Amino acid sequence: MTNDADWDAVIVGAGAGGAAAAYGLCQRGMSVLLLDAGPHFDPAVDYPLTESDWDSREFPEKAGSTGSVTFAPGQQLIGAEPLLVSHSTGLGQLVTSGTRWMEKYYHVRGIGGTTLHFTGESHRIHPDAMKMKSRFGVAADWPIDYAELEPFYTRAEELIGVAGPTTQGARWRSRAFPLPPHPLSYAARTLGRGAAALGLDWQANSRAALSLPWNGRPPCNYCGGCNDGCPRGDKGSADVTFIAAALATGRCTVRSDSPVLRIESGTEDRVTAVLVGHPDGTIERIPSLHLILACGAVETPRLLLASDGLGNESGEVGLNFMDTLDVTVGALHPDPQHARRGLPDDAICWDFNAPDAIPGVIGGCRIYNASADNELKGLAGFALRAVSGWGRAHAQSVRRLWGHELYVGAIGESLPNRNSRVDLDPDNHDQFGIPLARISAWLDESDLSRLRFMATKSRELLAASGAEDIFESYSSWDWFGATHVFGTCRMGSDPAVSVVNADGRSHRRRNLWITDASVFPSSGGGEAPSLTIHALALRTAERIGKDH
Amino acid sequence: MRRREFIAIFGLLLLGGVAALRRNLAIFWRSPFNAHTAQTVTAVTELMFPGDGLPGATELGIHTRIVAMSELHELMADGVDWLDGRAKSQGVSDFLSFDESAKLAAIEAAFASGDDAAKQFVLILRFYGGLNYYSDPVIKAAFPYTGPPQPEGFADFQDAPK
Repeated sequence: MTNDADWDAVIVGAGAGGAAAAYGLCQRGMSVLLLDAGPHFDPAVDYPLTESDWDSREFPEKAGSTGSVTFAPGQQLIGAEPLLVSHSTGLGQLVTSGTRWMEKYYHVRGIGGTTLHFTGESHRIHPDAMKMKSRFGVAADWPIDYAELEPFYTRAEELIGVAGPTTQGARWRSRAFPLPPHPLSYAARTLGRGAAALGLDWQANSRAALSLPWNGRPPCNYCGGCNDGCPRGDKGSADVTFIAAALATGRCTVRSDSPVLRIESGTEDRVTAVLVGHPDGTIERIPSLHLILACGAVETPRLLLASDGLGNESGEVGLNFMDTLDVTVGALHPDPQHARRGLPDDAICWDFNAPDAIPGVIGGCRIYNASADNELKGLAGFALRAVSGWGRAHAQSVRRLWGHELYVGAIGESLPNRNSRVDLDPDNHDQFGIPLARISAWLDESDLSRLRFMATKSRELLAASGAEDIFESYSSWDWFGATHVFGTCRMGSDPAVSVVNADGRSHRRRNLWITDASVFPSSGGGEAPSLTIHALALRTAERIGKDH
Repeated sequence: MRRREFIAIFGLLLLGGVAALRRNLAIFWRSPFNAHTAQTVTAVTELMFPGDGLPGATELGIHTRIVAMSELHELMADGVDWLDGRAKSQGVSDFLSFDESAKLAAIEAAFASGDDAAKQFVLILRFYGGLNYYSDPVIKAAFPYTGPPQPEGFADFQDAPK
């Protein structure tokens, strides 16, 4: 083991996985350098929710906070998919090219990573969704089961202050959520009446947003602005939870604006250092006793592949990419709802979440109140999208219907296939000459079947709630805009078909670890991944430095 | 998936489409952007967003922001050409000489036409006119729940809207 390192571990990526790993290691008395390519965000300064033009702003972009990726050509759109075509009353059909629009990989670089603008759903993965191969013949099994992960879920929930209901079906718990669930918003209760009419369960979502004061952070005041960044600090993003706790140990050093360009490896199957680029073009070499990658399912495989295929003995780095399979439907209710009041995604239906819960299709989904997290947050968006035409009739309709919109969303299992991957783009490079990640995403027929089911159920729920006038619908059938991505450095027991082992360690490199969603062998049935990333990272942190 | 940048993206799509269209059409014809074009764009913007009890687009100065978008000038010029052409075909000197109902009919016809430039002209003016108009503080103030969500939040989130 080399001994010129200043820290016991270097972590690359200060998002959900890197932050939790840093916390876990610091708790064990290890010293950690936490690097991120992006900047610090100051919630009190950077987030725009107090400004009069808040509704025309998005989560802020700062220098270095937006990485670049490229996309392989989108999948050809075959056949008519009236339930899945993305359109709005006011803007018409949104994708007319005949191929899936590869719009964007929604990813934040910075201290806190994508949790800075995540909605803050805090989900445990369905236990059966971890055994997709052995139980259902698709994807791959996780090399661990739910029981192995459960204590780490509990630990993460405690630190974050997750607010949730008493039970969540198959997701058994050793301890109750630390905080009581948030009350449902008015709009969520409107949808709840529809769910009841359909015989669907409709419960409070578990949320990384405080329902009571917790660890010095204030409770949520239900502004609905989670996706734009929480200026109060009640949302459990990684910067105010894991990183703050890691820093409090005195053993964590955080460095922003520090993109890692390459990993050096040495003999004896170990990595030795990372090379960090600086804005002036200089490169700094940082030795590393243990190296933890937590850059997400796009940038982690990029870094490995750009480091001469480090850790890719199996050839699986970058393969098995799973994107976000989703549908969102908006409809007008006869009565005003003003649904942006309250927590986004505050209510959820888990009835179709198990891998075998959708008739005739393997892989589950969840359905939720998407009203407040939708980007239709301002008057202009409503006027342009929910109401067609122009002139006096348009003005009158805007006035009559403003606040009547409700959204239902569904997110489903994304199964891996051999056409979906992340590789290096030979033609596009960053400012340091490193090839950009290139995303290829492909939907198989089973994905489309799941999407159709999700779209049908979303519409049924809206209609049963009284919102029958659909003005907008979009889906990942014709529009790739992924936030949740997985699978490109799969964990597994067999080194021939996986990148890391059950502990998150490279099968070959004994001090190289991965703690992000790239290790997920399957995506789950629409669960938000951040809590599972936290739990995996905490578990990996328990194993680092022991016999390595 | 969270398409939070939906509006901005749609605007870029429109502009991207327009840019490609411009490049192709410019080979054959390029319409000039002049005072008449600006007056016609102003008129169309007002017709699209007349206020109906609230200040209209021109009273709020929305038209000046639209006219100032130089990247749209070629499209505006072509769109105005199309509208003027329709006016001439009906025995009127130009679009501005129509009465209000004929103007609205001409805009509808442009939107429904097979002419890509005419349709894009209507879409672009609706998009940027509407975005500016309904983002204007005067208009927002006339609607409930349009203010910034912080620092107060929504204490009434469980209740029927006020």
